[in-house]
Parts: sequence; C-alpha cells; structure tokens
Amino acid sequence: MLDATTLQILTESAKYDVSCSSSGSKRANRKGGLGNASVGGICHSFTPDGRCISLLKILMSNECAYDCEYCPNRRSADVRRARISPDELCELTINFYKRNYIEGLFLSSAVFDTPNRTMELLLETVIKLRKQYNFNGYIHLKGIPHADEGLALKAAKYVDRMSYNIELPSEKSLKLLAPQKTKDSLISPMKKLQTAMIYDRENKVRRGRSLPAGQTTQMIVGASPESDGHILRLTEYLYRHMDLKRVYYSSYIPVVASPVLPAKPAGLLREHRLYQADWLIRFYGFDVNEICGEGENLSTEYDPKCAWALKNMHLFPVEINTAPLEMLLRVPGIGAKSAYKITEARRFCALDFDNLAKMRIVLKRAKHFITCKGKFYGAEGSAARAALLIDEKSCTDENEQLSLFSNTENSLSALTGEL
Amino acid sequence: MKVFITDGTAEGFYTAVFDAYRQDGAVITSQENRQLSFDTQIVNVTADSEKATRVRNKLDKLDRYAAGDIDLALRSADALKEQTAFEYIKLIVKNGRAVRRMLSVPTVIEMNDIISRVTGEVHKMKGFIRFMETASGALYAPYSPDNDITDLIAPHFKARLGDQRFVIHDIKRKKAALCDGVTWFMAEVGDADIYLSEYEKVFEDLWKKYYSSVNIKERPNERQMKGYMPVRYWKFLPEKNGGQ
Repeated sequence: MLDATTLQILTESAKYDVSCSSSGSKRANRKGGLGNASVGGICHSFTPDGRCISLLKILMSNECAYDCEYCPNRRSADVRRARISPDELCELTINFYKRNYIEGLFLSSAVFDTPNRTMELLLETVIKLRKQYNFNGYIHLKGIPHADEGLALKAAKYVDRMSYNIELPSEKSLKLLAPQKTKDSLISPMKKLQTAMIYDRENKVRRGRSLPAGQTTQMIVGASPESDGHILRLTEYLYRHMDLKRVYYSSYIPVVASPVLPAKPAGLLREHRLYQADWLIRFYGFDVNEICGEGENLSTEYDPKCAWALKNMHLFPVEINTAPLEMLLRVPGIGAKSAYKITEARRFCALDFDNLAKMRIVLKRAKHFITCKGKFYGAEGSAARAALLIDEKSCTDENEQLSLFSNTENSLSALTGEL
Repeated sequence: MKVFITDGTAEGFYTAVFDAYRQDGAVITSQENRQLSFDTQIVNVTADSEKATRVRNKLDKLDRYAAGDIDLALRSADALKEQTAFEYIKLIVKNGRAVRRMLSVPTVIEMNDIISRVTGEVHKMKGFIRFMETASGALYAPYSPDNDITDLIAPHFKARLGDQRFVIHDIKRKKAALCDGVTWFMAEVGDADIYLSEYEKVFEDLWKKYYSSVNIKERPNERQMKGYMPVRYWKFLPEKNGGQ
C-alpha cells in the first residue's frame, strides 16, 4: 500500500495547479460500480488557504526529463522524487471516494522517460480505474505534450476532462522559457480532442463520449512581456474557437535569478483583473475589444466592467424597470444573479430603490448607473463618480500580499505547478 | 392574538392553516417554548387529515409546486418557518397563482431564504458527509445537520455508492437513512455501536496527510475556509480532527 511520504511528495508537486473543478459531467454509475459525476461539481473540503478540495490532485511521478525555467520539478532542481504505481493510485482513489473525501481524481505527471511512456502509464491508470475498479466518478487528466495524439484521443474516451497547459501566452515566450515544449505540441492535441468532441455531439453519441466536461488550460501571467490585451485575445480565441471550458491564470513571482525571467512579480491584482475580464467575455456578452485594446493592460483602479461603463457613460443611467437583460448585465455591480432577480421581480410590479436593497442587490457601484422609476441615486458629476468607484483592492499593496511566499522552494512551486 | 401550535409534521401544519386562515393576526408555530404575551390565546392543533387535505387540494390547484416549497421550508431549523409558509400560502391564495417569482415581495424573499438555506445545506452535505468503513464492510456516516435533510441526501449516495451498504445517521434527530445495497429507507436510530474495519485508520491518516500536503501554507486564508466550511460541521471531518 501507498506510504504517507510518497503521497506527500506527489501531492505537494501537484498542489499549485489551479484547477480543482469537478463540474460539467453527468456520468452515471454502472451496475456494480462505484461513483457518478455531479454536473454542478461538489466541494468536499476546504484547506486553510481558502481553496476547495474536490479532486484527489496528484502526480503519477515528479521525476521530470524536461528543464523548464520556471518549474519546481524541472530536471535540474534538487527536490525529493517519487512515483506511484497505477494500482496504488486506483486503490487510493477508490478508498477516498468511498468515504466521500473526494469527487474524483485529477491525475497529472512530470515527463519521466519519454512523453509517450508517461502518457501510456496515465492512460493505463485511468483505464484500470474505469474497467477493473469500475469507477465512474470524475476524472481530470493532464495531457502530456509531444505524446502520441492517439493516446490522448483514447484517454478522452475514459476521462471527463483533459487539460494541456498552454503555460505562456505566446510562442516566443514558450521558446525562451520552456524550450522543450512547442506551441504545436500543446495546440495540436487540443484541436484533435475538440474535433472528437464535436463529432460526438453532432452524431449524438451517448455512450463513451469523449471528454463530457471538455478541456481547460492554464497560463502564467507576467513571466513574459505580453499585455493583458494580448492575453485576453488568446483567451477569447480559446473560448470561441476551441470550445475551452475554462482558462486559468497564475501570476508570476520571481525567485530564480535568471537572465530570461523578469525580476518583478506580476501581482495578484493583475491575475484578479484577468479573471474578471474572462468572466465578462464568457458570461456577460462582452467582446474583448470593448474591454481592452490589443497592446493595453487592464485598469488597476477599476474592475473591467466599471472601467468600460465609465468610458461609455452615454449609455447610462439605465432604468431598472425597462432596461433589457443584456444592458442590466452591463451595469457595474449587477451580476447574473441580480439581473435575473430584477427581470423576474419587475414583471409583477415596478421596482424602486428600496425594493432593490431588500432584494439584496449590491448598489454601491450600481447606483451610479441606474434609475429606479426615473429617480437617480448616484453621484452628480463624472469626477465625483469616478472617485467613488475606485476599487479598494487596488489600494492595498500587492507586493505585501506576495511576500507571503517567503521561502524560495514554495515561491518556485507557486509559479505554475507541474509539467 | 391566537397562536396555533403544531406537532411539527406537514399534516399538523396544513391543519393549522385550515384553522387559522380566517383569524386575523393568527400565528402558526411548532416552537412550544415561544415567548407569549398576556393577551395570547394558545390553540394546540391536532393533525386532522381531512382539513389538511382540503388545504393541500386548494393549494395544488393554484400552484402545483407550492407543496414542494413548503415541504422544504418545514425541514428548516428556522423558528419562523411555519409562519412564513403560512404567509406564503395566503399570498398564493390572494393572487390566485404561483408567487415564487415575485422576487421583490418580502414574504417571497423570506420563503426563498428559508428554502435556499435548506437546499444549500443539502448541497454542502453531499460534500461534507464522511463515511467510515465498518468491520462488516458497510459505510457509516454520522452527522448533525442544521435542517432535517437526511432523506434528501440519501438518493444522491444511493446512486453513487451502487450496491454498497451504508448508513447516514442524523445524531441530533436520532434518525438515519439505511441502505442494504438494494433499497434505502428512513428509520429511527438512537445510538449506534460501530466497529471499524482494520483499514479505516490507514485511509483516514492518508487523507489527513493529503489535506495537509495540498494546502499552501504561505497563503493563509482561514476566513475564507470557515466561510465555505463552517466550524460547526468540523465535528465529523477527520481532516479537521473532529473540530478539536
């Protein structure tokens, strides 16, 4: 049976991967089997850093043949190495799952031996888990770049979600910081998987669909010179043309004195703003050109929606009782839930400011952009309004937050996680 | 003012609605130790299936999902649940149709709040329930939810655990969902004597090891952890050492 030290090493090497979602799949249990997937995802615990534990997030091995500049498991790094066997991993997953500790498995690995050998072992493990152990819970599998694409397509039949980490927002940066990976080795398998998913959808394949929960990816922000505008255009491309479910960002922190890595951290605020813009593109009907110019960065002072609204004051204020849903979604401070509440409630009676407060619509920012039954409750004058809307987050010292990564080993790992 | 005290069952509640409906300012509650003022008149309601059925029929005609809302609300730990459900019924009758989407009406807001605290706990418990493997191979999960939800979460675990035998035990209400691997049912269960399997401690320890290893200790955010996973639930979580 697996020993505690191996589990610790392989967990600590995997923990910086941002994704832990278990949503998007409604895989059913089979006769005599264990587990199913819950489409909304379920969190099973929360760690003292405030993050959720949904999946058993673990590396098959942290022995890596690659030497990516930023990675804690790179070949030249002096860290403890370990490997787990497919059977040990299956048994651990089954026993954790049975006790309702986890929603499923997030399996990844460093590239030991060759990419093909690594991917084969990952594939062997998930097939074993599904067939021999009859496990029908959620599985997220990390794709290994340069591995045979047939292996990825085969794995897609067994797992719920796969992800290839794009790592860096441009080919040039990838060449510089992760020379063993190429843009093609990441994008090409993603496209093949997309094609397989489209085929299943169009042919209404029911059993053994490829990746019911789709693909995600992750990239480091600030290790290379790309602007937010550049990153968000890549993001929009990934969502609209490659059908990705999520793009994760992790902000860069300098720890290694390397001639090719910047000395300054990207900051958590930048990461936060990118996620806000990401949401606007996915759920709020925004086009990237409305949020951020090609070579520009997002505002630090205002959240992206607020920054957009301040630039487009000719569209505001909107009357809460008549504005269409698409416009309500563009009011700073009003999210999808609030917009839904307003459109439902106003079908029965006209809403005033007091109604909105009782419905727990957050009005701190919204009041400057709306009228209720024709009455305006916001600040008069654009200067006053702009001053009131500055985001408190932009006032805290982000370098202070980042200094929490005080020791080198962890700062290194915090960069991106494995691969 | 009249206060109608019910036995806490759905039938008792609908009977009380029947009796209290035309009385101005009538209050329905299942809380016997409620603070009473001098002019309060107490009416102890005896569940009456005929009266309850008449209320249900009327309600079903106006909004066929209302009884489902009320079923959820009556599971709540909220002291005002019966009164809120009563106001909700009156509002449905007054409007002659479903009201759940009238999201600016205070009664609807209160009712939706009570319901979402119940369904919210159902969702949370799908994650926070912890099974232990007993010597006989059955899985046993003790817990103590705020609301009476055991029969709402049992189907989730039945689908998931397949032909496993399991018990989900609400310690506080002394009831449990019992599954023999084929069907599940609710039963009254006081204390349970549990003998654990020899591997139980091994996996519990590995889980604790995993929990401590996956945490990024340089980025503490206990407030957020406690917001998502309230301390009162820790008692049954091995990774929090039972809240110690």
